[in-house]
Amino acid sequence: MAAIFAEQLKREFPPDIKAVDGIDLDIPANQIFGFLGANGSGKTTTVRMLTTLLRPTAGRAQVDGLDVEKDATALRGRIGVALQEAGLDDIQTGRELLRLQARLYRVPSKHVEDRVTHLLEVVDLTEAADRAVKGYSGGMKRRLDLAAALVHDPKIVFLDEPTTGLDPISRDSIWRYVAQLNKEEGVTFFLTTQYLEEADRLAHTVAIMDRGKIVAQGSPEELKASIGADVVTVRVSPEDGVKERAAEAVKGVNGLEDVRTVGDAIVVYVRDGKSAVAPIVLALDEKSIPVEEVTLSRPTLDDVFLQKTGHKMEGEVGS
Amino acid sequence: MIDLLRDTVLLTRRGLMEAVRQPAFEVQNIFIPLFFFAVTVGAIGNISGEAFGVVDYAGFQMPVAILQGAAGAASVSAIAMTTDIERGYFDKLLLTPSPRLSLVLARLCADAVRAMVITVIILVAGLIFSAEIESGPAGFVFIVLMSGLFALSYAGFGLAIALRTGSAQAAQAGFLIFFPLLFLSPAFAPKEIFDPWLEFLATINPVTYVLEGMRSLVLVGWDWDAIAYALLAIAGMGVVTISLALMGLRHRTA
Repeated sequence: MAAIFAEQLKREFPPDIKAVDGIDLDIPANQIFGFLGANGSGKTTTVRMLTTLLRPTAGRAQVDGLDVEKDATALRGRIGVALQEAGLDDIQTGRELLRLQARLYRVPSKHVEDRVTHLLEVVDLTEAADRAVKGYSGGMKRRLDLAAALVHDPKIVFLDEPTTGLDPISRDSIWRYVAQLNKEEGVTFFLTTQYLEEADRLAHTVAIMDRGKIVAQGSPEELKASIGADVVTVRVSPEDGVKERAAEAVKGVNGLEDVRTVGDAIVVYVRDGKSAVAPIVLALDEKSIPVEEVTLSRPTLDDVFLQKTGHKMEGEVGS
Repeated sequence: MIDLLRDTVLLTRRGLMEAVRQPAFEVQNIFIPLFFFAVTVGAIGNISGEAFGVVDYAGFQMPVAILQGAAGAASVSAIAMTTDIERGYFDKLLLTPSPRLSLVLARLCADAVRAMVITVIILVAGLIFSAEIESGPAGFVFIVLMSGLFALSYAGFGLAIALRTGSAQAAQAGFLIFFPLLFLSPAFAPKEIFDPWLEFLATINPVTYVLEGMRSLVLVGWDWDAIAYALLAIAGMGVVTISLALMGLRHRTA
């Protein structure tokens, strides 16, 4: 049985916005599933449907074998969720907030204090536990939110951009904790992110979401291999029309698979990168296009994202 | 059912914790009614007997102050609810297996408890101000309970707005609507001396019956007809406003 399953899941908003436009998911247990997409791609709407906060317009979805619409209450008891904005109550202390969460999640009374104390230690908030959440930093709030999502020891956890806006140290500590929980306790994570590095480092499987649809899915290695080419990035003058002329100029290069424009550069996908650098530079020189910088690399998830969606993660639109 | 009761109690406690840690609203909800009570009694109390036959004007006004305080208390949860919605904490509560009805009921109950505390303070102040309660200590308790029920039924209106709009400003409008209702009731003089149009509006205004029920306990004793009308008015308001609040909750989670 899949931990998370969806079939032609859709959500529309008036007047005619297709936030999620018929996605299929089949995520086995014990996986970290990375859901990549730019702002507005439909990631959060998908999470809200899978966690019963939003009703689908069409299609169906199950989490841990329970239907998101018909079995919503039972399902809520089995999953942990930390949404994009750390949804916390500023007036309570960290300990009080976790205690209330534990009780609402039906953690047996005799275990509540132990569980709260353990989680506060794990997310490194023991010292701040009895201070009002109002005084917590962004990183502390994120960690508390994560602890709140785990208070009832769920086996499936949804994390919606858990590290957005965090400093590198806080981000790293959340990554380590997620990986540890997955490895040691077999927790399945559905992790939405805008950070390609996050997906690359943590996820067993990655899906790329663009304009409400899943445009690619596989392990990070499979996705990178799917490009089937090396990546030559050539920075040219930022003047109008130069990169478009450059993209046209290199189209005759031997072994070329694809070419895209992004920012003030062209990204050339070629079968044998080492042999292709010189012909690319020559082709540009023939058209009198000055080259400012050339880099040769193996494909990254960034390249996969660009190739599959036509734009960079930051929302920079290419050709 | 047990889950509903248990979670309502847990969340009511959280709502009351807000009042203890951020008491600004409570201070305002006690101070303003007491201020109006003192000023109105001071200004009209000496002539109320001659003007419209009310000798104990402090007793006549005490229920007005109580309803003002209760309506103020009944607006707190709506504002707190919008804060929860804005901060995302409401979503966190929606994600728990808690019955969603408990999220609304707990807010209503917290308002009712707050209103009862405010009512005790106002009643004690009124007694110090020379008012008397003809129905005795049991009447004192009954007025406190009635004020809690009124707050519970009135709070549904603000909660409905909060859930529909998520806007604190809009939710506050729920409280502001109380003032026209109060002024269209026999708050300052018996409705028998009103112009016919105003008397008609007072007759169809539920606040009139709540006010007269409480007033009867203060000035007359146990007038069961007046008390029954008051309880019916509260129940009627409650059915309407709590239904609106539940529709608002449904709208927010659709």
